[in-house]
Amino acid sequence: MADEQDKKPLKKKSNHDPGRRRFLKGVGIAGAGAALVDHLTLSTDAKTESATADTGAKPVTRNVNIILDVNGQKRTVSVEPRTTLLNALRNNLDKPLTGPKLVCDMGTCGACTVLMDGKPVYSCLVLAVDAVGKKLTTVEGLGTPESMNSVQAAFVEHDALMCGFCTPGFVTTISAYLKKNPNPTLEEVREACKGNFCRCGTYPRVFEAALAAAKKS
Amino acid sequence: MQQQQAPPKKKKKIKVPKVINGVETMVEVEVDDEGGPVWGPNGKHAILNHRLTRVDAPLKVSGAAEYTYDKNPPGLLYGRVVRSPYAHARVIRIDTSAAQRIAGVKAIVGATNEDVVEGSNRAADVAEKKDNMDLGSAKAPQKKERIVRFAGEPVVAVAAITPEIADDAVRAIKIEYEVLPHVVRAEDAIKEGAPKVYPDGNLEPKEKRGDAAKVEASFKEADVIFEAEYRTPILHHSCLETHGNLVDYRGGDSATVYASTQGTFTIPGDAAKELGLKESAVTAVVEHMGGGFGSKFGIGIEGKFACQLSKQAKAPVKLMLTRKDEFLLAGNRSGSWQKFKAGVTRDGKVIALLATQYQLGGLGDGSQAGQPYIYTVPNFYRERISIHTNEDASRAMRAPGHPQASFGIESLMDELSYKVGIDPVEFRKKNLKDEVYHRQLDRGAREIGWERRNKTPGGGSNPLKRGMGCAIGTWGGGGGPQCKVEVGIARDGSVSVAVGTQDLGTGTRTYTRAIVAEELGLQINDVVEHIGNSKLGAANASGGSTTTASLAPAVKDAAVNARLSIAEKLSPLLGGAKPEEISFSQGRVAGGGKTLTWKQACAALPSAGITAHGEWKSNLQSRGVHGVCFAEVEVDVETGHTRAIKMVHVQDIGLPLNRLAIESQINGGMIQSLGMALFEGRVMDAALGLQLNPGFGDYKIPGSFEIPELVPLIDDEDKREAVIGVGEPSIIPAVGAVVNAVFNACGVRVRELPITPDKILMGLSDRRTV
Repeated sequence: MADEQDKKPLKKKSNHDPGRRRFLKGVGIAGAGAALVDHLTLSTDAKTESATADTGAKPVTRNVNIILDVNGQKRTVSVEPRTTLLNALRNNLDKPLTGPKLVCDMGTCGACTVLMDGKPVYSCLVLAVDAVGKKLTTVEGLGTPESMNSVQAAFVEHDALMCGFCTPGFVTTISAYLKKNPNPTLEEVREACKGNFCRCGTYPRVFEAALAAAKKS
Repeated sequence: MQQQQAPPKKKKKIKVPKVINGVETMVEVEVDDEGGPVWGPNGKHAILNHRLTRVDAPLKVSGAAEYTYDKNPPGLLYGRVVRSPYAHARVIRIDTSAAQRIAGVKAIVGATNEDVVEGSNRAADVAEKKDNMDLGSAKAPQKKERIVRFAGEPVVAVAAITPEIADDAVRAIKIEYEVLPHVVRAEDAIKEGAPKVYPDGNLEPKEKRGDAAKVEASFKEADVIFEAEYRTPILHHSCLETHGNLVDYRGGDSATVYASTQGTFTIPGDAAKELGLKESAVTAVVEHMGGGFGSKFGIGIEGKFACQLSKQAKAPVKLMLTRKDEFLLAGNRSGSWQKFKAGVTRDGKVIALLATQYQLGGLGDGSQAGQPYIYTVPNFYRERISIHTNEDASRAMRAPGHPQASFGIESLMDELSYKVGIDPVEFRKKNLKDEVYHRQLDRGAREIGWERRNKTPGGGSNPLKRGMGCAIGTWGGGGGPQCKVEVGIARDGSVSVAVGTQDLGTGTRTYTRAIVAEELGLQINDVVEHIGNSKLGAANASGGSTTTASLAPAVKDAAVNARLSIAEKLSPLLGGAKPEEISFSQGRVAGGGKTLTWKQACAALPSAGITAHGEWKSNLQSRGVHGVCFAEVEVDVETGHTRAIKMVHVQDIGLPLNRLAIESQINGGMIQSLGMALFEGRVMDAALGLQLNPGFGDYKIPGSFEIPELVPLIDDEDKREAVIGVGEPSIIPAVGAVVNAVFNACGVRVRELPITPDKILMGLSDRRTV
């Protein structure tokens, strides 16, 4: 399915190659060293932030300012080249977003799903710098508590959530899918949701909600 | 005034469950022995016992609900832990100098010996006691060595201005270990000369019950004697929101802790101890939380670290575990290894049972319900024994010990039924006294179409083989007197209900509102609930399915008191009608031949409005439920792949407060139980002592393709006008039902979970060669 391709950039040569992202995040190993201590104190002197060259530690990267187009707004954000789109949205925006969730941070669960130019992607597998120039839509951009889109409304109506931590991911995935296929079968909905995990066990009602939303729109 | 004249209330003593770390024990409490409020017949409610959509759903579907993980105050630091890579080791040196030099690293703390993760803490205590005994108590206490006892045990924690920099700091910290011998498999742990996890060895007897000699004697009267062993691996809660806290302490005399917890009130005490504050100076906030399933009580090692980091940096620190941390150090469901010898008569009576039940809880005790579980076996003897290994301590997980016990005994019963050639449902009935099980078995059988069942396991030529199975569970639940609820009615007609409880996704917010709305004759959206804050009225932690049975009666009591209080004020406007005779329904207040709208009624209140309080009433809740599950599966005997087709769960629950949410929760129980049957299990490398699958890529939880048709049935023949929790009972029997259905489908009896294709194929080849 094309959808599968969209979600798993691993399969094609792409800017969002998770291998590249992992490389940039850096790989490290803990090793051996000095005295066993119970409590370790640390200078919180502001100097430590700027004087890295003097102390010999190398900064991994330097921050860069980029502009992200998030839910129709151009927003300037300062990130490291290795910062994931998910972390940029959740931590670095001046008004951070709360919809995309950090659950696995390695592209297995779908809780961080956002739309990039209308296609669902795992935002934990996309670098923020690679999202420049793309139209990004998070669950917040699909609807608000006061004005929900048809999928969100159907989720409420069909009780398609319990703890709700996976819900933004499912809502985003399904909202994008219904645009592509406005009249899906149950099997097609399952297929569309295969990149999203829920632990509370809301799947049957997620499927119901997706089918109901399709009927209404 | 009236209350002062009332005679002293009659009291009675009852036993109620008290849940500590998700495990319940029964304690005696004194309660009122008189009428008090009642729910009334289950079928006569205007709002309750209907299908109510969640009041927090619009926030959650739009990403606006703020979980602990989403809190982001200015100046926030991000915490991370450094884990031991060894299953058993002595920490020799910790060098944080390189990490300290990284710009943006603001605090580093190390675990002390008094302050390590729970299971390891206990092992350290036991070791110290033994040392003191060996060395004589007069000897001054020595500083304990820092020993790590499982791979993943946290040793150091850091806080930095971004999570990326915190990761750099983790990598820059150097820890030198002296590696010690370890053991991670139960069968290795019981061998002579195995590395000792605890000083006295790896076996810890927990319980003996019954008369072994009598059992041996009664085997002589059995027509069939059958022995089998059943095993389940360690499972992971896999909460999507990992464990963690945001501790905001910038010096001074108060702190706020945002916690992903099942017990709002389990947090302030733990945090205060760590911060050196009074318990009352710490406020815990739990507005929304992303799953707990028994693993989130108290602040945990990650919370202690967050406190220390915040204290050191004088800044808010959010330390949420990473997914890998979550697998390695945030608890698990204990594994099980059950050995049975059973004697059964030709007419299907199990007359004798010997059971050895090993609980595989790593550094923890693990848990297992005692056999023969729900069955009546005239002569039984059981021993429950913990086997300790160098693995993270087990924690409570949704019905601790029950799915394991149910899977064991239900597999055994199923095997016995085939041995004596009696229909598995009829066989169970012959050994079950409780009539409720009989009716639930009948209902489940009807719903799944039991008569269509494969008569010869593995029969037919089609490689896709279908089969059906059933299994049974039980749970206590019930509540206790811990909740203090306040209902407020303002002069403008707005209504609020406040209690410090938490909503794990179980629907607490919704029924809290609904109970008040129903009592005051309003709509659910006319009421606002305030929960998840330790400054609000006390509430119990959510464990053992005790939340609803503890909370709902107190909410009802507060709502009734609010109704009577407002009625008293309105009496003069309603022809002097008695408060208890004034009716509240459909937004109107009526009495003495007159009717007021809700707004008119409230306008007559004093400017401060009305505040009413409520406490737990034992008669509004109950405990003790059954629960039966039927499953239909399809096994592909060419690939060994099993697919669940349909599952039916029948559950008694007294008064169902919200049918929609209860059905969802039963669905969720079936799905998690299906995961236990077919997919889930921790895989350890015995030589290295490491978990091989600490992530969702390798630890498989059910996904969209694996979900069968699910039929959650509320057993309305349970006429108890009392609330009971449903979280735990819904997860118990499905695992056994699926396993038994697999046998019925293809003739392969899998006695060690999960049922992966390789086991089916191995079983088929064995069968062919037999």
